[in-house]
Amino acid sequence: MFEVVIGLEVHVQLNTKTKLFCSCPTSFNHKQNTNTCPTCLALPGALPVLNKEVVHKSIMLGTALDATINRVSYFDRKSYFYPDSPSAYQITQLYTPIVEHGKLQIDFEDGSNKTIRVNRAHIEADAGKNIHDGDISKVDLNRAGTPLLEIVSEPDLRSAEEAILYLKKLHSIIRYIDIGDANMQEGSFRVDVNVSIRPKGDEKLYTRVEIKNINSFKFIQKAIEVEVSRQVEAWEDGTYDEEIVQETRLFDQVKQETRSMRGKEEAADYRYFPEPDLLKCEVTDEMMEKYTKIPELPDAKKERFVSEYGMNQYNASVITSSVEMANFFETMMAEDGVSAKTATTWLTVELQARLKGDVNIMNSPVDAKKLGFLVKRIDDKTISGKAAKEVLDHLMENEAVSVDDAIDTLGLKQVTDTGAIEAMCDEIINANQDKVEQYKAGKEKLFGFFVGQVMKASKGSANPQAVNEILKAKLG
Amino acid sequence: MQVDDALLSRLEKLSFLKISEDKREEIIEQLSEIVGFVDNLSELDTEGVDATFAMSDAATPLREDTPDCNPEIHEEILKHAPKSADDFFIVPKIIE
Repeated sequence: MFEVVIGLEVHVQLNTKTKLFCSCPTSFNHKQNTNTCPTCLALPGALPVLNKEVVHKSIMLGTALDATINRVSYFDRKSYFYPDSPSAYQITQLYTPIVEHGKLQIDFEDGSNKTIRVNRAHIEADAGKNIHDGDISKVDLNRAGTPLLEIVSEPDLRSAEEAILYLKKLHSIIRYIDIGDANMQEGSFRVDVNVSIRPKGDEKLYTRVEIKNINSFKFIQKAIEVEVSRQVEAWEDGTYDEEIVQETRLFDQVKQETRSMRGKEEAADYRYFPEPDLLKCEVTDEMMEKYTKIPELPDAKKERFVSEYGMNQYNASVITSSVEMANFFETMMAEDGVSAKTATTWLTVELQARLKGDVNIMNSPVDAKKLGFLVKRIDDKTISGKAAKEVLDHLMENEAVSVDDAIDTLGLKQVTDTGAIEAMCDEIINANQDKVEQYKAGKEKLFGFFVGQVMKASKGSANPQAVNEILKAKLG
Repeated sequence: MQVDDALLSRLEKLSFLKISEDKREEIIEQLSEIVGFVDNLSELDTEGVDATFAMSDAATPLREDTPDCNPEIHEEILKHAPKSADDFFIVPKIIE
């Protein structure tokens, strides 16, 4: 039996307004090379000046990961030649990163959990982008110099599932403390996976293979699974030493396989040395005081939802998995007389099903306050759940309309006035004396017929529970 | 440090530069001279000096996160690039 050993490196683009070492705006989808200057284009004589906000956001991440925040850290220069980096080096933190020795807890479905150690998080500059076009490559340096935090786990993960749980939790934390957009498609949350295998019980680490830049959780899971099979097969075939070498591999989404990125090439030589253009990075007492106060994290919020709203663990973890959803939910709950149970269903099932295309929870025509009010109208029995679906459909199409106006317009107000329901019941009973006789003679199935007739007479607006009770009383 | 033909070949690879055959001897000589000059620094006794030692004990200055970009600058730079088109820098095809 084999054990899988996985370590993850995540590059998170920080959502600062400007780049790491210059005042150029950080941007996605701006016209090529418009956000560049002598510093990020590495013209001679231009010097880097560190963005204060990057240090602040690093402290926030370190706090969220319960890590050591190094009050003094240093920058190092990593030399490599590639057209996406005009300086021919990357400024990073190799020897003393700003954040070290953190941890992150992952939760399994069965309620158990595991702590994954985080080795470090260091500040570094992103590269530009190359677009390959026939005989040439086009270089866009808008992204060059964008601040990144590279978050490196210890090799504590033992399966693809654990890796995904770790990534989802890390993603959620970054959104909760709002240090980055963490959008995998746009490349602001990039994952490199290190995978190796070993016979169970063996403590030694074998050859690790790095799989780079996979842009969805689904593909990361698949990439790990196929790479593990490749390594296990090589081991069993006795070809492990020849076939499994320390290298970078790419995941082919179409063929569902990993393959070597480059041929056998001499190992890169980055010639790291302390960055001469920057002095030490110091975290002051004031910064510690201010930026270690971070917003409530997903785990804490989940526990609070369980205790404050009486939700079950599962619903609480669904709602708190994204900060946008959690905030939406809390706004709904701020409305008086809204039950957590109804609110959960209407947010996670009914509203979610109606969010399509570009419409999401952030720009939904039915905002949290309005959905909260709709839930209140269900809970106070003004409308039935069935009618509420119609109301929600109407509200999705008509943003300016209020919940109560929509209920009136659609004529869906539930009749809870027992007098009115009693009158309707009497009418139905009188009109169907033959069926009443049969019912009384023991044909109990007919009860459903009476309920149906009353509901029909009320055009669906009668409260079914009230109808049931009144009919039961009248039919004896 | 000895600069020889093997080291020069390695440097060529790392820097993506090609040194022509007739220049190799000369370049090796010049590199040896430069490295030899820098080697003078080794005379200094650095025993007990921290590797992170800097001439200034000050921390690196920090900048406010306020955007400031002059669009004329990048136009000027692109104009002076060896090759550019449609606001892209153009480089030889990169083999992936």
